[in-house]
Amino acid sequence: MGITVDVAYKSLNKFTEVLCGDKVEILKTDDSDILILADGMGSGVKANILSTLTSKILGTMFLNGATLEECVETIVQTLPICQVRKVAYSTFSILQVFHNGDAYLVEFDNPSCIFIRNGELVEIPENIRVIEDKKINEFRFRVQRGDALILMSDGTIHAGVGDLLNFGWEWKDIADYALRQYRLTISAIRLATSICQACDDLYMSRPGDDTTVAVMRIIDSKPVHLMTGPAQNPDDDKKMVESFMAGDDNTKRVVCGGTSATIVSRVLGRKLDVSLNYVDPEIPPMAFIEGIDLVTEGVLTLNRVVQLLKRYVQNETVSEAFFEELDKVNGASMVAKMLIEDCTELHLYVGKAINSAYQNPGLPFDLGIRQNLVEQLRQTVTAMGKQVTVTYY
Amino acid sequence: MRVTICIGSACHLKGSREIIQQLQNLVSQHGLTGQVDLNGAFCSGNCMENGVCVTVDDDLIAVKPEGVQEFFEKEILGRL
Repeated sequence: MGITVDVAYKSLNKFTEVLCGDKVEILKTDDSDILILADGMGSGVKANILSTLTSKILGTMFLNGATLEECVETIVQTLPICQVRKVAYSTFSILQVFHNGDAYLVEFDNPSCIFIRNGELVEIPENIRVIEDKKINEFRFRVQRGDALILMSDGTIHAGVGDLLNFGWEWKDIADYALRQYRLTISAIRLATSICQACDDLYMSRPGDDTTVAVMRIIDSKPVHLMTGPAQNPDDDKKMVESFMAGDDNTKRVVCGGTSATIVSRVLGRKLDVSLNYVDPEIPPMAFIEGIDLVTEGVLTLNRVVQLLKRYVQNETVSEAFFEELDKVNGASMVAKMLIEDCTELHLYVGKAINSAYQNPGLPFDLGIRQNLVEQLRQTVTAMGKQVTVTYY
Repeated sequence: MRVTICIGSACHLKGSREIIQQLQNLVSQHGLTGQVDLNGAFCSGNCMENGVCVTVDDDLIAVKPEGVQEFFEKEILGRL
């Protein structure tokens, strides 16, 4: 049935720690998406190493088709033993969703996954298997469009413990909060960030433990077609625009580039209206073509888009302030927002023509860097866990 | 009268934004909002070394931010 997912996570470090002791891995196989969350014992470097090892081992072995037993066995035998506590320990949750709708959830000692369907909580049944003395819960089910699955480290349920709340933020209360936020947010990253923000508030901005929320939402596929730059051979303009315009009703279309916009307007025979409204002094105004979702200037806008996406991928810098930036109505924020929140696969249509007017050493910015920007864009969007294809003309 | 200011990448870097602001102010100060139609345009491939591409009716003129006043008096007031 062609399941597509929107996956994102947000972590808070324990107060004063530079490294996070929780680790999230987001992976894609040919027929599934995998989300792994590991929480290493303790905090700081030690926890970070434990959780990194755990999530990497699980990810690599799962990708190569190992069984759960083999994975757990490897982890138990590999993790370094803590000098203080004389144990090797990291919790983990694994969520694998196949494109045919089958799903597999494995949980070991993390707070239970919050499963939201049709605006209600779904209980995860107990089905414990003991592997290497570890009690591991397994759940096989089918996902539906609209489902949200939330994995958490125990920093969430400990939020505010002994301070604002006697017993921390109890699972049921987090689940109710998640349910409310689910209705208010459209993307995985906004849902993850809003729950994390609430934890941070309960901790009064001094988290007593590493806190991580990882969200997978089951959504329709949302392809985005982005065209930038004129074709090297002007005879290819028509072919380029035709490929760019292909796709179903779900497909969103973005043109980044003045000349490209002129070409699209000419080939489609639709009027190009250019705005004079400088919302942001550094980003040239946008334009409008009927049937195209966003029309912007080229390299200056793309440069800002890449900067925003890089901030997003780094994760630490994703906060309410980041979303305020993303919600601005300048061309770059709007393109970045679409790529982050409204895109599951990106198809780039890139023209290789060199604009002779830009070969002017007197300009304060190197405008001849389109292909470099496209490459950075490809890498960054791939790092966001989305599929990217690039076609050059 | 139709006045089109290029906001393509190269012209943007040469000061399109400042020119647009100045022109919008000048046009409204002189009470010409009804007569002068200010528009934006993307790169038309006519980039000039010495300023931002501005088209007045069908004439292409290079304008620098510091030369807006002169341009306004000569090319806009002068043609009305």
